[in-house]
Amino acid sequence: MTKRLVCRVADVPENGLRECEAEGGLRLVVANAGGEFFGVQAVCPHQDVPLCEGLFDGSVLTCHMHLWQWDIRTGAPLGLAEAPLQRYPLAVEGGSLYLGGDATALDVGELFNGIAAGTIDSLAALARRESYQAGAMLYRPGDPAEDFFVLDSGRVEFLVGRREHIAPGGFILRKGEVFGWAALLDGYPARIASARCLEESALLRINGKAALRVLEGDPAAGFIVMRRLAALIARYLASSGVK
Amino acid sequence: MRIQVNARNRGFEFDARSRESVLYAGLRAGIDLPYECATGTCGTCKAKLISGRLHDGWREAPGRRYVKPEQHEFLMCQCAAEGDLMLEVSKFVYAMEPGACTPDACTGILRAPRRLAHDVMAFGVELEQPRDFDAGQFVLLAPAGLPGYRAYSMCNFERGGRQLDFVVKRKPDGRFSEWLFGADREGERLETFGPLGKATFDPALAKNLLCIAGGSGIAGMMSILSRAARERYFDRYRGWVFFGVRTMRDAFFLRELSAFKRQGLEITVASSDEDVPASARSEWPELGFARGLVHEVAKRMMAGKYQELRAYVAGPPPAVDAAIRVLLLEAKLTTDNIRYDKFS
Repeated sequence: MTKRLVCRVADVPENGLRECEAEGGLRLVVANAGGEFFGVQAVCPHQDVPLCEGLFDGSVLTCHMHLWQWDIRTGAPLGLAEAPLQRYPLAVEGGSLYLGGDATALDVGELFNGIAAGTIDSLAALARRESYQAGAMLYRPGDPAEDFFVLDSGRVEFLVGRREHIAPGGFILRKGEVFGWAALLDGYPARIASARCLEESALLRINGKAALRVLEGDPAAGFIVMRRLAALIARYLASSGVK
Repeated sequence: MRIQVNARNRGFEFDARSRESVLYAGLRAGIDLPYECATGTCGTCKAKLISGRLHDGWREAPGRRYVKPEQHEFLMCQCAAEGDLMLEVSKFVYAMEPGACTPDACTGILRAPRRLAHDVMAFGVELEQPRDFDAGQFVLLAPAGLPGYRAYSMCNFERGGRQLDFVVKRKPDGRFSEWLFGADREGERLETFGPLGKATFDPALAKNLLCIAGGSGIAGMMSILSRAARERYFDRYRGWVFFGVRTMRDAFFLRELSAFKRQGLEITVASSDEDVPASARSEWPELGFARGLVHEVAKRMMAGKYQELRAYVAGPPPAVDAAIRVLLLEAKLTTDNIRYDKFS
């Protein structure tokens, strides 16, 4: 792979931000966190506001428009933010920054980002990459809930209920979002909703029990993942104000 | 007309009246759809049309710069349904909490317009039906014959209230303010929609209060301070108010602010364009005065006092953005403790 130059190290002020265009055309924001450099998507996932206009204190990036915030190291959403940032790993070489490849859906994912690299690798080894056409049905109510999915690209919608009592159950559209998480819970062997691809979609399919065994081997990661899973479930149950 | 909204977490259905904006219909039904200004500027209420036909009431709305029409995106606050609709909102949406002040449309009569400063007018709106509204909320006003709503913060708060109190600053070319300042408007009819806004205050907050207001941004602060003062909130918590004006000629509410000072608040008027004359200091001995932009004055005087604090910020967008920068980077407040209202 040819190295893609992003900018010079000296171009990004200490604890500052700079929007750059990498060789080949990708636009990204580079943050200088006390001499460490992190690349993230150039526009806010909320409303297309340039993140280089945001506020950065050396660890937390805040979009000035609606105060969405992220941990610059992991891209994880903080506070009001409803979505993570796409990260672009950077490599420093001879006073310049280069793109180090894209983060995978597991890396940026809401459940797994930031956990130990070895554990991510073990989960990645379990993942089967699948592609679906628009309209494809992934599962229906009553189907066994053995696997969970991580979205890489595309869009998936959920419908709850059966026959004439069907109601929309939301949709998923961001790289790294997890669904079908009943596979990570005890006592929920069957799907309670249907999942259908709204557009051409790429997914990682991971067996729930196998993933739990990996997490049992790294309890620190397992604890983080379970905390995040609890928060994720609460977010679907919550009323306003307590989300 | 039936409107179905598919949000990130679930779906909602509600009815809309003829010509009623999708946003107002949803809020009226108790669904907490995303919005900030509710008047076409901020773009927060962006949604995507899946099926059905829309009437766009304001194709030149500044907030349209945030929507991609080729992807069927639109502003819910400006578009009305022409028949049943299905749309998608790419956010988590919840039903409003029980006890929240659910907004609705209501006709009102303008009462007692009076000048507070050379370019500031106070007035009341007497509502046909009683309304609940919280300290810090705003409503939309549209005088008969002047198309389109404008958002104004109330200076008061009430449960089952019939009177809304406002202050409006004259804006060059502002159609509402030209209408208001152009003639005696006593007794004129207005359409209202509200209450709206989440920069509200409840004494259960149990934190020190910091209010930073530019110009008529002080209006919403008055309702928050009144609510707090009525509960003797400042016997237990500290409070600071920074009121930014260009010159003392633009200042108003100084008598009311002096009364809050006697409840234990510290109040500073920041004058950006000229030194504060000695006459102002002697006329208002209970108020502090400083020269400078309001966020800079606040930053200077608040250093080291940011513990256990909730901040409210209101005013023109550059002033609000500058104050938020101070609150995040200097004060290190978390975003849930920064409530803001940008006039745009």
